[in-house]
Amino acid sequence: MIRGKKSSRLSIFPAFTLTCFLSAIVIGLVSTWLQAFGYLPSIGFKHFSLASWVQLFSYPGFGSSLRATLISGIGATLLALTITFTLFAASFQNRFWRLLKRMLAPLLAVPHAAFAIGFLFLAAPSGWILRLLSPTITGFQIPPTWSIINDANGLGLMVVLVMKEVPFLVLISLGALGQVDVTRSLAVGRSLGYETTQVWYKIILPQLYPKIRLAVFAVLAYSLAVVDIAQILGPTVPPTLAVQVFRWFYDPDLEFRLLGSAGATLILLLVLVSMGLLYLLEKGVQQILRIWLVNGQRRPGLSVSVQLSNLIVMTIVGVSCLVILVLLVWSFTWRWRFPDFLPQAWSFHFWEKGLTQINEPIRNTITTGITASFLAIILVIGCLENEVLLRKRGIKTGTGRILLLIYLPLLIPQIAFLFGIQVTLATLFLDGIWLSLVWSHLLFVLPYVFLSLGPVYRSYDQRITDVAVTLCQSPWKAFLKVKLPMLLRPVLFSAAIGFSVSVAQYLPTLFVGAGRYDTITTEAVSLASGSDRRIVAVYALCQLLTPLLVFLSALLIPRFYFRNKKGLRV
Amino acid sequence: MFSPLNLEIKAGEIASVMGPSGCGKSTLLSAICGNLAEVFTLKGDVLLKGISILSLPMEKRRIGILFQDDLLFPHMSIAENLAFALPQKMARNKRKEKIKEALERADLVGFDKRDPATLSGGQRARVSLLRSLLAEPEALLLDEPFSQLDQELREQIRLFVFESIREMDIPALLVSHDPRDCPPGEIINLANQRM
Amino acid sequence: MKRTSILVLLGLMLFGTVTVFADDWSVITKKARGQTIYFNAWGGSDVINDYIRWAADEVNKRYKVTVKHVKVTDIGDVVSRILAEKSANRDTGGSVDLIWINGENFRAMKDNKLLFGPFTDKLPNYRLVDVENKPTVLFDFTTPVDHMEAPWGMAQLVFMVDTARADWHPANMNQLLRFAKEFPGRVTYPAPPSFFGTTFLKQALLELVIDRETLYQPVEQSDFNLVTAPLWKFLDELHPLMWRKGATFTSGAPEMKQLLNDGEIFVSLSFSPNDASNAIINGELPDSIRTYVHTEGTIGNTHFVAIPFNSDAKEGAMVFANFLLSPEAQLRKAESTIWGDPTVLSVNKLDPKDRKRFANLPLGVATLSSSELGKVLLEPDASWVSALEKAWLKRYYQ
Repeated sequence: MIRGKKSSRLSIFPAFTLTCFLSAIVIGLVSTWLQAFGYLPSIGFKHFSLASWVQLFSYPGFGSSLRATLISGIGATLLALTITFTLFAASFQNRFWRLLKRMLAPLLAVPHAAFAIGFLFLAAPSGWILRLLSPTITGFQIPPTWSIINDANGLGLMVVLVMKEVPFLVLISLGALGQVDVTRSLAVGRSLGYETTQVWYKIILPQLYPKIRLAVFAVLAYSLAVVDIAQILGPTVPPTLAVQVFRWFYDPDLEFRLLGSAGATLILLLVLVSMGLLYLLEKGVQQILRIWLVNGQRRPGLSVSVQLSNLIVMTIVGVSCLVILVLLVWSFTWRWRFPDFLPQAWSFHFWEKGLTQINEPIRNTITTGITASFLAIILVIGCLENEVLLRKRGIKTGTGRILLLIYLPLLIPQIAFLFGIQVTLATLFLDGIWLSLVWSHLLFVLPYVFLSLGPVYRSYDQRITDVAVTLCQSPWKAFLKVKLPMLLRPVLFSAAIGFSVSVAQYLPTLFVGAGRYDTITTEAVSLASGSDRRIVAVYALCQLLTPLLVFLSALLIPRFYFRNKKGLRV
Repeated sequence: MFSPLNLEIKAGEIASVMGPSGCGKSTLLSAICGNLAEVFTLKGDVLLKGISILSLPMEKRRIGILFQDDLLFPHMSIAENLAFALPQKMARNKRKEKIKEALERADLVGFDKRDPATLSGGQRARVSLLRSLLAEPEALLLDEPFSQLDQELREQIRLFVFESIREMDIPALLVSHDPRDCPPGEIINLANQRM
Repeated sequence: MKRTSILVLLGLMLFGTVTVFADDWSVITKKARGQTIYFNAWGGSDVINDYIRWAADEVNKRYKVTVKHVKVTDIGDVVSRILAEKSANRDTGGSVDLIWINGENFRAMKDNKLLFGPFTDKLPNYRLVDVENKPTVLFDFTTPVDHMEAPWGMAQLVFMVDTARADWHPANMNQLLRFAKEFPGRVTYPAPPSFFGTTFLKQALLELVIDRETLYQPVEQSDFNLVTAPLWKFLDELHPLMWRKGATFTSGAPEMKQLLNDGEIFVSLSFSPNDASNAIINGELPDSIRTYVHTEGTIGNTHFVAIPFNSDAKEGAMVFANFLLSPEAQLRKAESTIWGDPTVLSVNKLDPKDRKRFANLPLGVATLSSSELGKVLLEPDASWVSALEKAWLKRYYQ
């Protein structure tokens, strides 16, 4: 093949995307680090010092905050991983598995905030589960004084994180397993005498883990630094580190911004150290398990019964359904006292009220989401097309390195660089502007769009476009009239994913929007600690429905467009 | 999928099943080793050494299977791949012995710590066969075992496989769409058995 | 001849000043047309949000000023933002045009020169304000207002009890302790530094302190530990008897109201004497809820609206503030079915029709009359707030 130039007309796309990304993250991080060490000239702090760090470590309740963060963060990740592996090993392809697979997309589409709010309504001592059981089974006429959520160690928070993260890890694993011949590996393993679960543990899962490692790290980073769910379900006195840092940013005493930056940097360090430990653990396990792998043990020593695994599937699916149901019931409630099983009085009032109030937040959410995902699609397609062009010239693109860069915004906790981004934007008078908000959402939308569109794009048979180009003499026309329509469904689907990522953004909207832009998510979270569950339920349901509707259109539009073309209706 | 079929294979013999793609060759093998997909139903019986094994799960049937992909486990070395097939109760030195023997047979002495990805196609095919044989199966199934190999290699591996099976004195059933793959012996053409 | 000319001159001067005054306001209203103001106000009460929406609609209709209600959870956040803007030398184009504020936040803004003003003397409706009988209109937590913020309404700390669950209610803090002993796990208060948490601390301190006068002086002038010792002793006894044994706290009065409705707690608090009645009408609380106060008196204050120094829509903000002070708006605000927030106006200064309307306002079912509301305790000096918050954090963030 003729070696062509390394750059092409389209290389502006990856160049621009990378600059956007990396510059934002680098600037954000560096600026946050400067603040952490006392340097914030715009507020008058011009000398480097370790004062904020001293303040951080001596802040009342620091130890408890740290402990709750680590328990909920690392605990959730390890537990979610274990559960995911168990589900594959014990329930793969059985009835429950098929249920899980079907529910995977809806489970993932439920935004974290809405899920947390619904879970609160479900599991609190005065929640629906206890209302179902009282007074007949439990004998309670008033709610018990149990401590279920908001516990000091973050266990309630951990449980909810696990329930959201297992579907995510299952989805990623399913994708990664495409590179492993599962059926045949199972066949070979079983023919050698090993039970199915044992084949999974010894053969398939060890091959799977390295492929999902980045996703696991992303889960770890998220769990350690999550703010919105932790505000709703986490400990309160003191809260987790991320919530505490978030509050410091808003303190009227501006010196607390330096303290917040130090805290955010500490969270980043925690994430990096945890990732490092997890990596070492992986290598350690690899070494120790070498002996176990070949000891010939055909049946698992610790038998995880299939029943337990099926139960886990039912719990996750069941709880998620109940969460949505409880939100629906509360949204139509007028009066509902404990321990009634259902409301005494129903009403449409709060839906009427909510739908009129929700105008502006929904408008902001939708315009920002659509713009961000639209821009992301353009950038991603540009980068992928550039890849195609380079491949034609025989230049190999390092997909491994690019993957790491794409994952970067997901591996670095948002709070660790949003402080810096806010200060930079404020100095440039760019904060509070809608375009800045879109850009901040774009940072997080891009990776997901890339991850979902990339594989599909790369598996497209380029020869069809080549033929089209010979027919119409214009690569642009061939792209628009042949390639794009053929890829319409995956493109729209990736756009829908990007949109739902934008909808769920909480911290960027608050930091970059400077309070000017209410989105459905910021409204729902701020109302969650309010007094009226009915209106919160309406907001949470709207937060849920918005991406769901976009997904539906992403699925239905191509179906309509190609209703007469069987070949494109996969 | 196909009309009723009667087949008897004696120890050390290799029977072949041929037919175009989609006629059910692989399904037949799945049915025998116990890996039949739920959508299919099996009418009839499978007897090994005169005893019906139909009620046994796949891992208990003692029937080995080889696919066209060598399916060597990439996270284990060659020696570990081979060791995987050995029974749990075997003593450590006996294990080492068996692995050494197998590597000698495959003409791969000194390859124990090697990464499977660094071996050639032919070398991997040999290791894969030996792995199946180390488990001491009572019968062996081969699903298009040579179709991944290029022509020159094919003859070599073919001879290696047939020899090893005869040495082990177990019945074997080979499935292929290429008549050259089939050893001398009984050949059934499933195309003639279409429903 | 000379006398007439002097009279004419005086007349002209008088006419002149009146015209100048009227001119001032009409200039302001003219400039305000078409402006959009971002009104940062607490968004935790639906009732208040609805009222603000009504006021925004009216002002839009009458003065063509667009009011956007930015719902805030803690007003300290907004002060923080404005301070950051000032430090970054952002003297125009600020993100906040009008802010609902009082107490230590007002003091912070005034001290840091974050406020525009004085401006309330320019508002025509300001002359109706009851500066004679409501001292908190002129002194916000002992800080002189100096026309830098426009009064909006009166607030008094009240408590609520579920009479269906408890047959008596506490008359002071010590009785609250007894109440908690009888109903363990059914009493709580929000965690400081949230607004209501700090208020609870102040109320407790006012009741338990030996010499109340020290609280009206700056905190630096007292031995903090000595003065607050009875407070910490009280809380140390209360916490193990509290909801969730004091291991977790609510975030504010709204969350407590929900718990009260659920029956998880039996008492709650509010700054609006009409809160309970409103909640009962809305279905937020059952009709067994009743409001009560502590017999020695509870904290009361005035809440205000203020304009940041860097607002680009100061005229629009002033027009809105003036509207909020109008008899029509104050009357609607005081209606128990709408909000029930007491007025800052002096009924004697109103014209007879409005006076009658105020007199005829019905009380909500769970609202106490002004006589029943009892004594109003003045807020301590603003410097005590952050000192109390810091000390609480140190003790109870385990």
